[in-house]
Amino acid sequence: MVSIDLTYLMGELEKQELEAPNGVASPQAYEQLLAIYLYKNDLCNAKYLWKRIPSQIKESNPELGHIWSVGQYMWKKDYPSIYNALNSVTWTETVADIMKKVQESVRDRAIQLISQAYSSITLEAVCAMTGLPPDSCCKTCIDRQWQIESDSKIVHPVLSDAQSIGQTSSEDQLYKLTDFVSFLEN
Amino acid sequence: MASPLEQYVNTVRSQTTNGSFRELVEYLSKTNDILQKNSQHLDNVLETLDFQQHSLGVLYLLCAKFTYVTPAGQDNRFTQAQEFILNCNGEQIRLVPDVFADLCHLITKYLLEIKQPMRGINLMRKAIFKLRLFDSQLTSIHADLCQLCLLAKCFKPALEILDVDITGICQEITSSHNGSQFDAKYFLLYFYYGGMIYLALKNLDRALYFFEVAITTPAHAVSHVMLEAYKKYIIVSLLLHGKEQPIPKYASHVVNRFIKPLSQPYSTLASAFELNNTSELNNILTKHTDIFVRDHNLGLVKQVSSVLYKKNIQRLTKTFLTLSLSDVASRVGLQGPSDAEKYILHMIEEKQIYATINQKDGMVIFLDEPDKHCGPEVLKELEKELCLCMELDKQILTMDCDIQVNPQYVRKSTGTQDDEQPTKSTYAM
Repeated sequence: MVSIDLTYLMGELEKQELEAPNGVASPQAYEQLLAIYLYKNDLCNAKYLWKRIPSQIKESNPELGHIWSVGQYMWKKDYPSIYNALNSVTWTETVADIMKKVQESVRDRAIQLISQAYSSITLEAVCAMTGLPPDSCCKTCIDRQWQIESDSKIVHPVLSDAQSIGQTSSEDQLYKLTDFVSFLEN
Repeated sequence: MASPLEQYVNTVRSQTTNGSFRELVEYLSKTNDILQKNSQHLDNVLETLDFQQHSLGVLYLLCAKFTYVTPAGQDNRFTQAQEFILNCNGEQIRLVPDVFADLCHLITKYLLEIKQPMRGINLMRKAIFKLRLFDSQLTSIHADLCQLCLLAKCFKPALEILDVDITGICQEITSSHNGSQFDAKYFLLYFYYGGMIYLALKNLDRALYFFEVAITTPAHAVSHVMLEAYKKYIIVSLLLHGKEQPIPKYASHVVNRFIKPLSQPYSTLASAFELNNTSELNNILTKHTDIFVRDHNLGLVKQVSSVLYKKNIQRLTKTFLTLSLSDVASRVGLQGPSDAEKYILHMIEEKQIYATINQKDGMVIFLDEPDKHCGPEVLKELEKELCLCMELDKQILTMDCDIQVNPQYVRKSTGTQDDEQPTKSTYAM
């Protein structure tokens, strides 16, 4: 639901920018658009958006710079700095909600990556990549049934099978199959 | 109002009412001088014509205005052009696609001069919609749109156009002896700019395809656009495939004979990359830095050097099952185990290798590609590919059909050699 709303908002903001007289949108629109790109992990578009924002607007709205510094760390995949940049600033109302979601999506991806890439990892590294303090980090690990060795503080992540793609109806498939066969026969 | 202009207005009005557009076009194409001489009165004339009803007349006036008038003070050219493109009659302007495209080129040039490319993006999109007859038809305005998007650093609006594969070309220039034509410059520019847009958004696959189209365009002389496209083609193929892709056989000999020697630094870069030699690659990078900077390709070249580390890690997976992180670092030439871990982590995230890192022992275990050839997503992928193939087949069949009924082809293939047969091919790009 949320991501649909944001996608819609993104389309609207992009349109606003294109239709703005002189080709310059309002600072609020830029802030929101930049934050939405980060939420979608669309760093290329975020980068070019940052590049095309006129420098006067950047100077008068330091928050834009703060949002982009999060983007820069995301580009470098420097997890501790991402969380640091996200939490060291109090976001204004314009972007606060979106930035919260940025953090969630970054954390989700980090957890997914850990479970894919590591068979064992130190608790410190997990904390750094998820940006959680050690105790709540432990809890997250246990929630996911990752074993923690209590003495050495080593976590053993378990690869979760996230496979849920909507099955198409068999009639639909039969229809497509007929199409293919009739194509091959002719 | 000067009298030649009165005549202009009267002709436009009466011919439009009669619906004799061909005669009108004939008349308008000769009015260039009149409009140039009376350029200070053009605004008055514009007021007397209706954008929708007298699109042809207004089109020539606006072109003249962009070409000959240097405005002092209030400049209303862009607003007028904008209003015209949004309201003009598609049928009328399609009679003179070259003039309409020229107007768009002039608008683009104007926006570049005042450094506001952003404002033109939507307008050019609308202009393309007006001029083309079907979605996959290329017009020379496509190149303008891509150029504006590149300069505005705003790529999304262009993607919608770029993602549709071109199957037809709007033959814009009509000359009496050569038949209808399309200026090759705009064809090359479209694919060059398009490739750059995809490259900026890291859609390397598509970028490579666009550059390939640019360098395989039939040619007798070296075009600068082609030369630059060739340089980028080499870099992108290194980034994407880890080696220099061979140039397709149907490329013009110009590429091998002239363009290749002109891009020597890039070839040496590619050969160093193919030998997996990191230090040699960095040597070349420093040696030719000024050339890469001049070509505005330095950023891309630097990406090449970081991809080489990844490629070398990828090669390790073929030899080893497990390896310690410090071994990975020393074999690939990275600083230390933590750097190696970072690279491997990125590669796992991007699904370039399959491996798990064991931080406890500092080891990496390389895995085989997980067997994923049975899920519903594979089926979905397969269905998509099949649809594409079927579409392509249909396209080829229609083209084949078109050629078979082409009178010239029939005459040639039936063997009745006609002496009066024109020697020049009238197939035109």
